[in-house]
Amino acid sequence: MRIGVFICHCGSNIAATVDVKKVAEAAWGMNDVVYSTDSMYTCSEPGQQAIEEAIREHKLHGVVVASCSPRMHEPTFRRTVERAGLNRYMFEMANIREHVSWIGRDKALNTLKATELVRMAVEKLRLNRVLTPKKIPATRKVLVIGGGVAGIQASLDCADAGLEVVLVEREPSIGGKMSKLDKTFPTVDCSSCILGPRMVDVAQHERITLYAYSEIDSVSGYVGNFEVNIRKKASYVDWEKCTGCGACTEKCPSRKTFDRFNEGLGATTAINIPFPQAIPKKATITAGACRQFQGKKCGVCAKFCPTGAINHEQKDEIVTVKVGAIVAATGYDLTDWTVYGEYGAGRYPDVITSLQYERMLSASGPYGGHIKRPSNGEEPKSIVFIQCVGSRDPSIGRPYCSGFCCMYTAKQAIMTKDHIPDSRSYVFYMDIRSPGKGYDEFTRRAQEEYGAQYVRGRVSQVYPRGDKMVVRGADTLLGLPVEVEADLVVLAVGGEASRDAPKLAEKLRISYDGFGFFMEGHPKLKPVETNTAGVFLAGSCQGLKDIPSSVSQGSAAAAKVMALLSRDMLESDPQTALVDIKRCIGCSKCVKVCPFGAIREQDLRGQIKAEVLEAVCQGCGLCNATCPQGAIQLSHATDNQILAEVEALLCQM
Amino acid sequence: MATQEELKKIILDVLPDVDCVIGWGPGPEPLCASPYFMRNPEDVDYLLAGPASVHNPALFLPEYKGRKTGVVVKGCDSRSVVQLISENLIRREDVVIIGFPCAGVVDASKIAAKLGPYGEPGETERAIFDKDALNLSLGGKELSIPLSEILADKCSRCKHPGAVISDYFAGEAADALQVKDDFTDLAGLESLPLEERFRFWEKEMSRCIRCYACRNACPLCVCRDHCVASSREPHWLAQANGVRDNLMFQVIHATHLAGRCTGCGECQRACPVHIPVLLLKRSLGRAVEQLFGHHAGLDPESRPPLLTFQMEETNIKEREW
Repeated sequence: MRIGVFICHCGSNIAATVDVKKVAEAAWGMNDVVYSTDSMYTCSEPGQQAIEEAIREHKLHGVVVASCSPRMHEPTFRRTVERAGLNRYMFEMANIREHVSWIGRDKALNTLKATELVRMAVEKLRLNRVLTPKKIPATRKVLVIGGGVAGIQASLDCADAGLEVVLVEREPSIGGKMSKLDKTFPTVDCSSCILGPRMVDVAQHERITLYAYSEIDSVSGYVGNFEVNIRKKASYVDWEKCTGCGACTEKCPSRKTFDRFNEGLGATTAINIPFPQAIPKKATITAGACRQFQGKKCGVCAKFCPTGAINHEQKDEIVTVKVGAIVAATGYDLTDWTVYGEYGAGRYPDVITSLQYERMLSASGPYGGHIKRPSNGEEPKSIVFIQCVGSRDPSIGRPYCSGFCCMYTAKQAIMTKDHIPDSRSYVFYMDIRSPGKGYDEFTRRAQEEYGAQYVRGRVSQVYPRGDKMVVRGADTLLGLPVEVEADLVVLAVGGEASRDAPKLAEKLRISYDGFGFFMEGHPKLKPVETNTAGVFLAGSCQGLKDIPSSVSQGSAAAAKVMALLSRDMLESDPQTALVDIKRCIGCSKCVKVCPFGAIREQDLRGQIKAEVLEAVCQGCGLCNATCPQGAIQLSHATDNQILAEVEALLCQM
Repeated sequence: MATQEELKKIILDVLPDVDCVIGWGPGPEPLCASPYFMRNPEDVDYLLAGPASVHNPALFLPEYKGRKTGVVVKGCDSRSVVQLISENLIRREDVVIIGFPCAGVVDASKIAAKLGPYGEPGETERAIFDKDALNLSLGGKELSIPLSEILADKCSRCKHPGAVISDYFAGEAADALQVKDDFTDLAGLESLPLEERFRFWEKEMSRCIRCYACRNACPLCVCRDHCVASSREPHWLAQANGVRDNLMFQVIHATHLAGRCTGCGECQRACPVHIPVLLLKRSLGRAVEQLFGHHAGLDPESRPPLLTFQMEETNIKEREW
């Protein structure tokens, strides 16, 4: 075999702490190496051209590049060697940046380690075999998980491009958090007026199938051919028959049901339609609140339903769909604000969350669009907004900035002045974060035109005095303690990953960070991709965002889906497990450990043997590690290759 | 010996429905029994079920998969049967399990030590086990050795002397014994510093002749002819008989048995150069017990924890949600 080795400087990223030339020189002495050199940026165009030229000139059979993580540039270099006529799997990468130069300061030791990593890569490459991808047909259909504004945008864009779309929403209606908002910054246009038509478009689009009040049960398969089980939760109403007339909700006697849509501000009925613009506009029974489910004699809804849609016996139903790509757009939830005992949230009715305030401001909300104190229904004159509740606070495990609270608080201060001209608003803030088109101007307007009093400092305590709430804090600009008597306190609660987001991530086999936000493929260059082929991200599930950014990501994810599914056939990854049937004894241990269901038993002339479904196999190697006699091997990381790498490392010690 | 007679009756009843019944029969010398395959009623006469019945007959069952087979089991053997069933290496409906109350089996090396002054154990002319002692004549001398002094170590920590699973049981089945296994056999080695422990294994493994008797005696080592030890593709072990590869083989063996080994001790008994290989398996077995609360060979429905895939192990918190 003729191997070429290329050691990358990565500018000074590697060269500063690794003697790159020395590594390249050492490579000359390694087995089968007939060419070795170093280059400033191997991934650059001249860098890649040098590889191609070397392959032709030195008749190389395989190439080792020592540079960054394979996560970064393995696909790049595979394409490079392929352009020069080699099989793309006759390439190995040694990570001497993340694994060496960035983590060690001792140049001599770094150089030694880099040399050893290169030797390991060379030894592995010597045992590489040519692998050929198979062509697999792709289902031209996309699953969008989450019907918030990001998911809606992704669905509409994909459907307009001619793809079939399955949209799954956990709540009874799509619309997400945006549907709960009264107005949107920085233009103060009505949220439901701009979102409502999009929601209707979803309902009416001939290529969009909507499963509301449904969750993802399980996901199997792979890019181009996912099989997804969707659990349609029992709504106890036959949605085929329900016309959304609302007769049931008027007659339902359980009138003290927690109103999820209105964030608990006011109550709803056990059978309800979450809000007037709901899509689908169908009734759902909250079993925990329904008299019938508590064994009491009721059934009033069934009596009054003109279409006989009520069905208390309804069960969850599993629907299986086949899709080629998946967009996760599961959004966010509010951080638990009740952990701040000093703010008294949950204890004092006049301390509410920003989202409850939105419902208060909304004309279709429980207060009919009038700002009132929940305690006594009076109009508040003095309103305090507290910023960064559940954001930028390492003590509760939320060190990050939620990003949108500064802006919505400014909007809420403006709206308050509009609703109650003789009111005064106070905003306690840490920093005002308002980058964005027209954003900083907007927060200035809140202060300058609408007279919101911004106080830089944290609030230490909120407590009642008479029928007022006393807000005590510090003005850190003046260096003085501050006390404001407020009629209403609004907590600008930050966001966190949607509840159960990690569980969905496990089902989708995508990474998530310590907070439960889904990991993008690359923080700059792959913002809507994941490291799982065929799964894309949109909106706040990837990290908190405001509406414009969520919509942009919805469209971006749709574009990625379109690019993927514009081809009829996809290439399967040939780096899978393979069974040596001569060695297999049919003990089926591999079948038991495979997390993907990619191995099954086959009867081969009366003997049980394992069989790998290549298209389903993800090449994780669990079966390989489990097989006692080594009958299952990963085609691109065989035991012998691993042993060769270990030998390469040990023989130098 | 009433139990043995009852066993014979059961076997005679079972025999017409099975290919054969595996138990123990007379060995080459009076002191040891031998695995014994009974196919005809007259074979049953020679059954030996007692302190000399050291072998684990479960060893042969995987080869009989698909054929109806009877098997006479001690408590420890029955756990191997359970483990084989739980791993689908044999089918429950294929085996007729015949249990009896085992009073422990002897350790040949302990007998040899006792007989040392009188002659070779192989020259024993006559050996009879009674309830508490082994009576034999050797070199013209009549000797009586208390059984308690020559029983295998595993018997002293045995919780299940009767079969944990059986279709027939000769004699009275008893509840599990309240014996605590505190791994005293590992204590000495584990009190040594790592360096010395490694030297211990280097010394032990230098004797290993890679005969694979340990592997071939293990009822759960089912790969046999396909063993990774003799494979070139993949090539895990060199044929060079050095400490490194010898130890590597034992570590592979122990790893493959983690969470599966029932501690029957056949590997160590079979070793012709007396390497305490059971220690490796006991050490890993204890780790699996402590980590996963799993005891191999007690429940045919259970699955060894290392042969499962779970997003989140109950006892290992990788992520919280």
